Amino acid sequence: MTMSRQGVQPTEVIDRAAKLRFRWNGKRFSGFEGDTIASALAAAGEQIFSRSMKYHRPRGILTADYWDPNLMVQVGDDPNVRAGHRLLESGMDVRSQNAWPSLNRDIKAANSLLGRFLTAGFYYKTFMRPQWLWPTYERVLATFAPGGKIDLDTPHAYHDKRYTHPDVVVAGAGPAGIEAALAASSAGASVMLVSHEHSVGGHLRYSSAAADQAALAELRTALDASDVEVLTDSTVTGRYEDNWLGIVQRNHPIAVERLIKARAKTLVAAPGLIERPYVFEGNDRPGVITSGAARRLVNLWGVKPGERAVVFSANAEGDAAVADLERVGTEIAAVIDGRTGGSISSTRGSSRAVDAVVADGASIGADLLVVAAGWTAPTSLLNMAGDRPVYDPAAARFFPSDPPSNVLATGGLAGDAGLDGLRQHGAATGRLAAARAAAVRHRLQSRTARALPVDGDEPAWAPDERAPLGRDPHPELYRADTHGMVDMSEDISSKDLVAAAHEGYDSVELAKRYTTATMGPSQGKLETVNTVAAIAEARGETISQVGTTVWRPPYAPLTLGALAGRMFEPVRVSSIHPWHEANNVSIIQAGQWLRPDHYGDPAAEVRNVRENVGLIDVTPLGKLDLRGPDVPKLLSLLYVNKWMKLGVGRVRYGMMCAEDGVVLDDGVTGRLGEDHYMMSTTSSGAGGVWEWVENWLQTERPDWQVHVTPVTTAYASINVAGPKSRELMSGVCEGVDLDAEAFPYMTVREATVAGVAGCFMWRIGFTGELSFELHVPAGHGLHVWEALMEAGSDLGVGPFGLEGQRVMRLEKGHFIVGQDTDGLTLGPSTGLGSLIKLDKDDFAGKPELAWAADRSLPMVVAIQPDDPDVVPEEAAQIVRGDTNEILGRITSSRYSPTLNRSICLGQVEADLAAGGTKVTVLLESGERIGATVIDHHAHFDPAGERLRG
Amino acid sequence: MAGLAGRLRKRPPKYSAAALAWKGLRGQSWPRVWRDCDLQRSYDAVVIGGGVHGLATAYYLARNHGMTNVAVLDKAYLGSGGSGRNTAIVRSNYLTPEGVAFYDRSVHLYEQMAVELNINVMFSQRGHLTLAHSDASLRTMHWRAEVNKLGGVNSSVIGPDEIKKECPSLDTSDHPRYPIQGALYHPPGGVVRHDAVVWGYARAADHMGVEMHQKTEVTDILCEGGDGPDGKGAGGRVTGVRTNRGDISTPIVINCTAGWASLISTMAGVRLPITTHPLQAAVTEPVKMFLPTVVVSGSLHVYVSQTDRGELVFGASVDPYANYSVRGSLEFTEGLAGHVLELMPGVSRMRILRQWSGLCDMTPDYSPVMGFTPVDGFLVDVGWGTYGFKAAPVSGEQMAEAAATGRTPKLIEAFALSRFDNGELVGEKGAASVGH
Repeated sequence: MTMSRQGVQPTEVIDRAAKLRFRWNGKRFSGFEGDTIASALAAAGEQIFSRSMKYHRPRGILTADYWDPNLMVQVGDDPNVRAGHRLLESGMDVRSQNAWPSLNRDIKAANSLLGRFLTAGFYYKTFMRPQWLWPTYERVLATFAPGGKIDLDTPHAYHDKRYTHPDVVVAGAGPAGIEAALAASSAGASVMLVSHEHSVGGHLRYSSAAADQAALAELRTALDASDVEVLTDSTVTGRYEDNWLGIVQRNHPIAVERLIKARAKTLVAAPGLIERPYVFEGNDRPGVITSGAARRLVNLWGVKPGERAVVFSANAEGDAAVADLERVGTEIAAVIDGRTGGSISSTRGSSRAVDAVVADGASIGADLLVVAAGWTAPTSLLNMAGDRPVYDPAAARFFPSDPPSNVLATGGLAGDAGLDGLRQHGAATGRLAAARAAAVRHRLQSRTARALPVDGDEPAWAPDERAPLGRDPHPELYRADTHGMVDMSEDISSKDLVAAAHEGYDSVELAKRYTTATMGPSQGKLETVNTVAAIAEARGETISQVGTTVWRPPYAPLTLGALAGRMFEPVRVSSIHPWHEANNVSIIQAGQWLRPDHYGDPAAEVRNVRENVGLIDVTPLGKLDLRGPDVPKLLSLLYVNKWMKLGVGRVRYGMMCAEDGVVLDDGVTGRLGEDHYMMSTTSSGAGGVWEWVENWLQTERPDWQVHVTPVTTAYASINVAGPKSRELMSGVCEGVDLDAEAFPYMTVREATVAGVAGCFMWRIGFTGELSFELHVPAGHGLHVWEALMEAGSDLGVGPFGLEGQRVMRLEKGHFIVGQDTDGLTLGPSTGLGSLIKLDKDDFAGKPELAWAADRSLPMVVAIQPDDPDVVPEEAAQIVRGDTNEILGRITSSRYSPTLNRSICLGQVEADLAAGGTKVTVLLESGERIGATVIDHHAHFDPAGERLRG
Repeated sequence: MAGLAGRLRKRPPKYSAAALAWKGLRGQSWPRVWRDCDLQRSYDAVVIGGGVHGLATAYYLARNHGMTNVAVLDKAYLGSGGSGRNTAIVRSNYLTPEGVAFYDRSVHLYEQMAVELNINVMFSQRGHLTLAHSDASLRTMHWRAEVNKLGGVNSSVIGPDEIKKECPSLDTSDHPRYPIQGALYHPPGGVVRHDAVVWGYARAADHMGVEMHQKTEVTDILCEGGDGPDGKGAGGRVTGVRTNRGDISTPIVINCTAGWASLISTMAGVRLPITTHPLQAAVTEPVKMFLPTVVVSGSLHVYVSQTDRGELVFGASVDPYANYSVRGSLEFTEGLAGHVLELMPGVSRMRILRQWSGLCDMTPDYSPVMGFTPVDGFLVDVGWGTYGFKAAPVSGEQMAEAAATGRTPKLIEAFALSRFDNGELVGEKGAASVGH
């Protein structure tokens, strides 16, 4: 085979005035604008584009389009680029992927000699002994992994996504698809026409027939004048529920690849047909190409595919290829007609020869073998819509059977006709699609809550009155009387498939898994039907009996970058954050939030709170604003304790359990007004509790009058803690009596703080000190914080962070949901069993908690190591003596600056929970230490005198 | 008498390099991996479900207990369910002592499998990293490491520098939205060629006389003496199964299905606390090897490994809604891609080739249900959630022992169905929800 550039063709898509220089395996080459990488290389006489996966056989052009398995190359840091499709760009650095040391001389090609031993699945039958050698074998096998190279420094380039709601999406822009788009648009539908190729027109693009070119010009003119949105070099990759479509756009001017998500009211599938390779000995030799490849090379890029050709033709496409080849001066050595029983049985020859051996054993000298053996219907989108295509032996291909009524097929996928017939069917399909889309649109508008009145009645669901396309007879040509490659990318031959079937891997799914046929980059577009045919033959059954595999999304691969798009996961900070940053803060990432961990010395922060007064920014604390007369019922349903009699201005602690009785969240809820409550949740539970509340209200108690608003970020929250906190607050608050009797522990008041109205504060705290938890409209958070700092400068006020708070809450023995509890911790295990009111009518988790009430459960307990200087790790296990039997674990541990000793919370088996019990803690170092369970959770101020102050 | 003839047949040739060479030279073909048998009217035991669990159970019934008059029934082809849809990860770094002991035995059986079953299942013990992106998840990793150590399992918490050494492809800088703060490193963890495990058990069971029946759908379980309709339910006993190919009588029926486990059990009048959720997975095009270990991130709901063929295989957590659909969604691949790029920004040019999903039977405590039921002769090996594949050898071994001896083996006592009545749940949520 010697390919070369010819004179100007009337249909060519290259601009011969625009020369592009690029590199191929380090050498300089040039092509023209409009060339694909492969066409430019072919025009320069390159024959070998890749090496096959297993045998490293040289591979050349097969189909010269996106699906060509032999044209995978590396372009810069982009692996597995389809050289048959990717347009040439100036300066491209193109490399072959699967060859060493070079494409023309590849050491692993020696594997071809071992072919008889390396049958499909051979690796399952060897490398088992000695076992210790397997990792070495595996490393060697892994060197056969095909594909390009990843450059881990590749930046995550800009990828955008687009969301759209067209009435009709037409997948495929051949004559039928274009007509469908035009007709639907004329009927008033908004239409998106998606062309996999770089320009619209389908097979008309590479037909030199005058009538075809005239039709193409006419269709393009009509499209230009229409309102149809045309996407080229784009593919509908998947059809999901309710016509939710993924479309990848590869030629976006800014994004490397763009994912378009479209909710189409109707989908028209018009992908055309994919030409199917023919299986015979030597069918993977460079120089054996499909008729479509020959026609594309000649007509699109002016490349003469060879000097002397044998053409095996079983259809009009093959005949047209003969005419195209003759026009550019390729000598036609023979035309073998598959319709009249002619066949090719093998190829022979050395590097540039492809001598064809025909059925009677005669060898015809040539350098090119063009094969037109039939078609595969790309039924993927219909499959994804639930359709199971049906095989028609007379036409030798699959056809749609019964797709849902909002998915319509046209063009070659639906049947055969002349150009006019295809266009008429396409237009009729477009009208039908538009009519059904109008009905869907009406339905969506009229059935949507709060929709404006819609004009007229809902249109009837338009009946399908299209005249069906015919089915041209076609010989069933899958394999000649010899064996050859079925899957070029996986190096799987028909012999492999027959052997697999005889071994018992005789359903198409088993054979696919055993041999890996159809698992490669074209995902069976070229291989599946030949695979099915080989298995059918081995089993003595028909193709219909064997059936086909399930086509799964995506129809064409798309990059992880396009799928990922931009990551919309914000980093959250409070409005006070700038102050923290200006004051030597050490930040900790807590869920989505960045929070102050400490400001240099957490122990000093703790001491300052215990002695003077401190401020902590607790904005991430979850806050739900609840309004309505039925709020108490809601609270009673979701918390384990009672809520019906909470007075206005009162605050109560509550624990929530899930339906399995496991602790879900905890926090305080206060009653701000007659029908107005504020619920607080843990910071990490803010989102989950909101969903939990809404779920109960919407699905179980829709009749209750409760309105829920998440207001976590509407308020900046500041806890003011320490013996001098009241003094500090009195300097900045107006309109509220801070006196212990007027504003006692566990109450809530509204107030104006530092001139900011609409604040509320409650007398609670996590630290065990007298404290005021302030909630300030978020925009004023920084102002109030700074005002507090200034007002407290004489009182020794200072900030404290999460670490200080954790130490102090541990000194007080407050558990943290998710740290001291886990996915199995039932309500009573927290030690707050008395909170659980089983005499309530109903509440979430009640049956499980009733069951648990009289059982001995693991318990959360406070533990002190016997050696006050040893702080066990959080996660250190509590074991039985010197054994490895696990009896519990340390869940929280710190050194207490207040008590000058190590303190812990942990979970232990029920019989270890009593105060005074001695336990053994296994440190991470392996050392076992003694520790003692103490009577109550609080290591410090168990009576709680300080916080009530 | 095809069944009898089958049971008496000669041992087929072993797989080996020498046999490959010999057959290659002589151009000989290999015999069938398992026979096509006629369906008999009765068996000593019937296993429902021809996936790894059912096949392993049948294999161990024959190998360890001499029960060879056993049929494995599957409504499609062998390995068509979760066995062929999982991401093939094997590990034992679980959270509870029960889970650790159980999966440790499974890893051990996987290590022996290639030699024992005489098929290369390609167990690649390449190391398994569970990443922690917050101090909370790091705390859980420490907890798991401590429990693992006590169970004799090789598992420890390592920091970003050591992570970078084990797996240079990960972005261990502090730039990402979810910086990698540490990881639970489990050197014996790895991946297996899942289909080979299916075929290996089927072939080995077949050698001993067990029959595999594909395209054989169980439509009912026949019972007598139970407290429900048709003699089903508690207090009754199994007498056989009804299939699309006729009735079979048998005193023992073992439900080794996934996805339909609760529906099958209902056929015997046994209700299971199971909801079924899809779990989605995807695979990319191949590239040259660059990812040496299995990488899991619970916070990002993703696990990823590179196959010997060069593809990246991804999985996620189960979909949040109960569903029997295996179609997959676009949103899943979008989320997955975003999370993978968070871990390895350099792979943004890799392309997703195929997505699929499988069905996962979730129990309230994320642990399986194994052993006897209130219906005599009806055993279950179900509720395997997202972690069934890695447990197949050990559950098959233990289920076979239970079925053959009538007693629950110690290793699976904790997983009995009765635990949902007496409250002794086995909490693996922390290690199993995305813990691949």
